[in-house]
Amino acid sequence: MFALIKLIQSLFGALHSEGTPGQLAAGIVLGSFLGLTPLLNLHNALFFALLVLLNVSFAGGMLGWALFIPIGFLLDPLFDWIGHSLLLAPSLRGLWTSCYNTPIVPLTNFNNTVVLGSLVFAGLFAVPLFLATRLAVIRYRATIGERVRQSRWYRAVMASKVYNVYKMFRP
Amino acid sequence: MSVKIFRWRAIGPLLILFVIACVLWWLFADSIARREVQKVGTQMLGAKVEIQDLHLDLRHGDVTIRGLTIASPHEPFKNLLQADEIVADLDVVPLTEKKLIIDRVAANGLRFGTPRQTDGRVVAQSGEGIAGRVLAETHDWASQFQIPALQLATGKIGVDSLDPRRLSTIPAAAALDTRADSSRRAWQAAFDTLRLGPALDSASAALERLKHARATDLATLNEARRAIDRLKRARDRVTTLERNVTQGTANLKSGLAGLDSARRRDYAFARSLLKLPSLDAPAVGAALFAPAAIQPFERVLYWTQLARRYMPPGLLPRATTGTKRVRRSGEDIRFPQERALPRFLLRNAELSFLLHPNAAQPQHYAGRLTGLTSDPAVYGRPTTFGASGPRLVAGGLLNHLRGIPVDTAGATVGGITLPAFEVPSVPLRLDPGAAVTQLGFNLNGDTIHARFAIRSSNARWSRDSGGALANTTIGDLIWRTVSGISNLDVEARLAGALQHPDLAVRSNLDQAIAARLRVVLGEQVAAAERQMRARVDALVNDKVGPVQDRVNEVQTQAQAQVARQRARLDELQKQLEQRLRDLARIRLP
Repeated sequence: MFALIKLIQSLFGALHSEGTPGQLAAGIVLGSFLGLTPLLNLHNALFFALLVLLNVSFAGGMLGWALFIPIGFLLDPLFDWIGHSLLLAPSLRGLWTSCYNTPIVPLTNFNNTVVLGSLVFAGLFAVPLFLATRLAVIRYRATIGERVRQSRWYRAVMASKVYNVYKMFRP
Repeated sequence: MSVKIFRWRAIGPLLILFVIACVLWWLFADSIARREVQKVGTQMLGAKVEIQDLHLDLRHGDVTIRGLTIASPHEPFKNLLQADEIVADLDVVPLTEKKLIIDRVAANGLRFGTPRQTDGRVVAQSGEGIAGRVLAETHDWASQFQIPALQLATGKIGVDSLDPRRLSTIPAAAALDTRADSSRRAWQAAFDTLRLGPALDSASAALERLKHARATDLATLNEARRAIDRLKRARDRVTTLERNVTQGTANLKSGLAGLDSARRRDYAFARSLLKLPSLDAPAVGAALFAPAAIQPFERVLYWTQLARRYMPPGLLPRATTGTKRVRRSGEDIRFPQERALPRFLLRNAELSFLLHPNAAQPQHYAGRLTGLTSDPAVYGRPTTFGASGPRLVAGGLLNHLRGIPVDTAGATVGGITLPAFEVPSVPLRLDPGAAVTQLGFNLNGDTIHARFAIRSSNARWSRDSGGALANTTIGDLIWRTVSGISNLDVEARLAGALQHPDLAVRSNLDQAIAARLRVVLGEQVAAAERQMRARVDALVNDKVGPVQDRVNEVQTQAQAQVARQRARLDELQKQLEQRLRDLARIRLP
């Protein structure tokens, strides 16, 4: 329940933040990397650091993360297939062999089929996701955004103390 | 308005997060590493790996493990080994490539085969992972050698129900009957086509005319000569038919002989249905000791096959199941490369261990293991191990450098008190005592040669209530035979293709037991065999007898018919020729 409230807060907090649609979309894209790929991997430390350090919507990042976790689970068989195809492609064997025998790179677990498949998928999906999200935020703010902000239930949700935590990282 | 790219104020919290992570690592690294080593070790070996304490000192590249226990994957309440302390010198730099290179390991206080409180087998129950599959495969492999207990078990001799449909004589007799019938028809048709009647008739007429002819009656003489030619041609046809009949009857005779062979096969088949105890010495040795002798082969094969899975030859990418997690594990693909470091390498391990740790004078042994690696082709040298001590010599070599791996191991252990074991099927328990045990094992590709031998001069036998032969004549007999024998010499040899090798087991007890069995059971076995033959005969004779009669009748009929016609032809020809000769002797005036 707490997670759901937090998700709703994050969603509306992000939509009504002072951040630009681009910042919100970039946050969601970085969050999608965290959600789509297996979490405990070195590349996710990098994406988390980018989410914190870059001036993108942190709430959008959390929202993207939360939204894409179940999608990641659902698409795992696809990621496995993508990773398998890439890692066992004869034309790429030289690349993978040199990566595998290079310091630090193997720590990313790139040689795992699900990790590589999900990372490649998330990378390819990032651009359309960014464009679609930015367009959606612009349309939302231009149409029903103000009415939602004035509604009673919006104020009730945002009055929760959890919202204060979010405010620490708003763009 | 320009948009800031970096959120500088977030660096502080990020650094704090990093510091917290470092502190957590510092606090829990040993615990995490201990759990991971336990988890990975258990997964790899198929038995519980437990560690009391593990200390990581990455600055100096040291790992110290205390209280290591590895359970046996084969026995529920036994440990494979325990070690008081293991100190490993790690090469730290390759860790950045996720490669574990251990320069040297010193293991002290190793103990083997110690008892444990809980069942330490993991894959034997779950059957998961590489170890689970290898365990199942080797178990299946070993089960092919199960000697049917009844070959020596109950000694109960009886004739099982014999299904006539499974006897080969009856269909063979039916087939022969059909062949005889078709031969008879074929010969009759051939005989009809000979058309001997005209030749015989014209020859008879010519002979009649010749009887009244004179020497100058040239037309009659010429006609007689033509009749002789026709008779000769008819005889040639009869000769050809006779040849066919001879060949056909020979085939039918071989068919009759085939019926005898089929009957012998049926006797053998029926004998296999009888629960007759084998009285041959090798069979007795196999029945008594094969299950126990197979066990060491199965275990060595398990470790060898495990080594082959974890240390495959070649440099091609290798896929293994990924680490377990909430998400799908996927597969980890490894990319070995020449002149690079292997994924895992233990360059040198020095082992010191005790045998008989509880004895007044425990024996100290030393061993060495070199070149244990996950990528033999990358490392370029085979894995070797050896151990020696007052009464132990052991060595081994795992050569996985080439496409066809070769694994060799050998050990001779003296003065080791082997655990007592129940001899299968018979109500006996054998305590080999302090025995000399030898094991030789060579697996070259898929060809296996192995030998296991136990020699003891103070074996002790005790009577047991278990076994299929408990309270039976054979059980008593075997007990009386072996109870006074204190020398034990058992040897099992395995050779051939790995999937179906030949197993030969012999012991110094085989001849003695077989001779006693023959004395007691010989008459019973012979009586049972007589009964079995009578049963087969009763089923077969009804079908075979008429067929034999029919074949004989067809043969006789055909041969007689041919002989009769040939005789008529010969007789006429003879008479014609005689008359011609008589006319030729008459002098012209």
